[in-house]
Amino acid sequence: MIKPFRLLRWAAALVASAAALFLMARASAAPLPYHPAGTARLRLSWSARPERIETCRALSQEELEREEEHMRQRVVCDGHFTTYNLRVEADGRLLSESVVRGAGLRHDRPVYLLRDFDLSSGLHHVRLSFTRRERTDGDAAVAVAPASAAVDTGIFAGRAEREVVERARRARAAIPALLLLDTTLAFAPERVIVVTFNPDRRTLEVLDGARPPR
Amino acid sequence: MRLLERGARRLLTAIDAAATRLYGSAWNPVYQTGTVAVTMLLVLIATGLYLLLFYRVGSPSASVARLAADPWVGSWMRSLHRYASDLFVIAAALHAFRMFAQARSWGPRALAWVSGLVLFGAGIACAWTGFVMAWDSFGERLARDGSRLLDVLPIFSEPLSRIFAGDGPVPSAFFFVNLFVHIAVPLAMGVALWLHVSRVARPVLLPPKPLLWTIVAALTATSVVLPAPLGEPANAFALAHTTPTDLTVAWWLPLSERLAAGEVWGAMLVAAFVALVVPRAARRPREGPFAPSVVDPRLCTGCNQCPQDCPWDAITMVQRTDGRPTLLAQVDPTRCVSCGICAGSCAPMGIGPPGRSGRDQMTAVRSTPEPARADGAAIVAVCCEQAPRGHVTELRTRGAFVHLVPCVGNLHSSVIEHFVRRGAPGVIVFGCPPRDCVGREGPKWLHERVFNDREAELQPRVDRRRVRVATLAPGGLGEAIAALGAFSHDLSILDRPDREIDTAFEVVCDSVTSDAPEP
Repeated sequence: MIKPFRLLRWAAALVASAAALFLMARASAAPLPYHPAGTARLRLSWSARPERIETCRALSQEELEREEEHMRQRVVCDGHFTTYNLRVEADGRLLSESVVRGAGLRHDRPVYLLRDFDLSSGLHHVRLSFTRRERTDGDAAVAVAPASAAVDTGIFAGRAEREVVERARRARAAIPALLLLDTTLAFAPERVIVVTFNPDRRTLEVLDGARPPR
Repeated sequence: MRLLERGARRLLTAIDAAATRLYGSAWNPVYQTGTVAVTMLLVLIATGLYLLLFYRVGSPSASVARLAADPWVGSWMRSLHRYASDLFVIAAALHAFRMFAQARSWGPRALAWVSGLVLFGAGIACAWTGFVMAWDSFGERLARDGSRLLDVLPIFSEPLSRIFAGDGPVPSAFFFVNLFVHIAVPLAMGVALWLHVSRVARPVLLPPKPLLWTIVAALTATSVVLPAPLGEPANAFALAHTTPTDLTVAWWLPLSERLAAGEVWGAMLVAAFVALVVPRAARRPREGPFAPSVVDPRLCTGCNQCPQDCPWDAITMVQRTDGRPTLLAQVDPTRCVSCGICAGSCAPMGIGPPGRSGRDQMTAVRSTPEPARADGAAIVAVCCEQAPRGHVTELRTRGAFVHLVPCVGNLHSSVIEHFVRRGAPGVIVFGCPPRDCVGREGPKWLHERVFNDREAELQPRVDRRRVRVATLAPGGLGEAIAALGAFSHDLSILDRPDREIDTAFEVVCDSVTSDAPEP
């Protein structure tokens, strides 16, 4: 026969075990505060290649002939990548102003931008400028007319044209000298509005999550 | 450090005592924290394999939501996976706390301590990736915090945080890599677990079957009754007010979010450093009670019993150089933890830590007063020095003659024989709970030597009815008093034993002791 004390102990053990498991289950999904209620957020997020300011020079025929055939690059360029000034204002109030450089130790990688600004929900006039800091004659790298393609033969035929095309493609993919967003945005409570760079249109674009991202 | 250890020891004793009062020493899950952690790893693997069948890296949130909505298997299987990870963390933390409090982290045990820390950290990392897999608001929160921490390291060319910015869909590659890490980390944990137990003989990886299945059943019942909730699907354009956070696994999250990434890394490095230097800070000089065992070559008969009993594989048998045809036991001091189990395993008393060999025990026991009380001879209660002082005092007040030993696994059976033949009505040996023995296998080997004729056995001439082995655990005084009372009752129907003065084994030991070298 089981003694009453032992029964009592089993009951206590059962209750304690159930309580411990209940606590563990509750601690497994405790509602932990994350963002303050009613706030909204402006997020800037994009990545794009910074513009490269170059001084290019077309090699002479003699210089080209000194190179092996596969090394004969028509135009050689020297230069550096541009830096940008990011300025964010909301309702005339300056939220941030900073210099943005390309990633990497030599800053030759794309610009990766990710900034969050907490705002109250409601309408806000947002002014965002992303301005190239270095002055140049134009928006793109200096274009240089290709040298004669006469020396290109065999598998290297047409290389000069390809170099021009590639240089133009890089210039087009680079961030323009000025990106500007000056608009009024409606911030819903506990929602994020993302401003990103559209490389096809080469402009800043506003995403609010209503449409799926690209 | 000693102060910290003492405080931890007091807290641990209180926890042990509370759990023993509830469950009894045999069923106390707090003694089984290490094996419970391993059990949870197995549960995680089993449930994880099932969940993997339904997980889609292309639509993580939806696939987990489908699982959570399946009331028959998916929901509780997912919850069981979650709760098993919680219990793993709790059990592993308690296990580490026990090892620290009982000063079992240094010397030969340092490898187990360090690999245990690695296992704990890997468990947290694995849980982290697991929550990210679900890709609900909590998973997204963890992913954001993790990427924030990783972005300050010069690893990725593009910051990981941009993945979750919302200007593009989160790539499937991210979830694939996360899944890969979630699966690869447990494989690495298998290697760490092997290292963790590599220095112990006969590692016990699972709790007793009844306890194992009870824990699994209780967790399963919890999963059915209280399924783990799933947060809202992750949304880069939403700012969740709260997230359903697993505080057991992600207890560090509220602190981490308040600190800069560099500060978090700094805090983690400091915490890891502090944890890693515990073995060094806790170490004792290898002398006195911490001196490794030594072998007296003249007494060693090469019976090969001490290597079999040593819980740390610290003893090997080597060729003798003195021309005798037997092998000789050799102790590796870098593996010996001075548990003294070998002293109890050596019939000719030729091995043991200095001052605790069989010969030393006999010398000590001969100098103790007669186990007498007013109404006759008292029952001898041999108690482990690890037992709570209050419990031992209580046994004394109940008329028992208490004889303290460093560990009952050290106890040479001749000591028991000595007491019986010197007129004690009976000897009851109170050991620690089997899974809480600092010598790992003390109570097991003692029982085998006393009742199952394991080498260094209690001699057949000793009436087994006068010997009993019981447990004296913190909080288990009631059990111990009941065992003492039952033993006393059983002895009362036996005749009073005759007291012998000159026992043969004493003569043998005297002659050996007189010319044995000092260790």
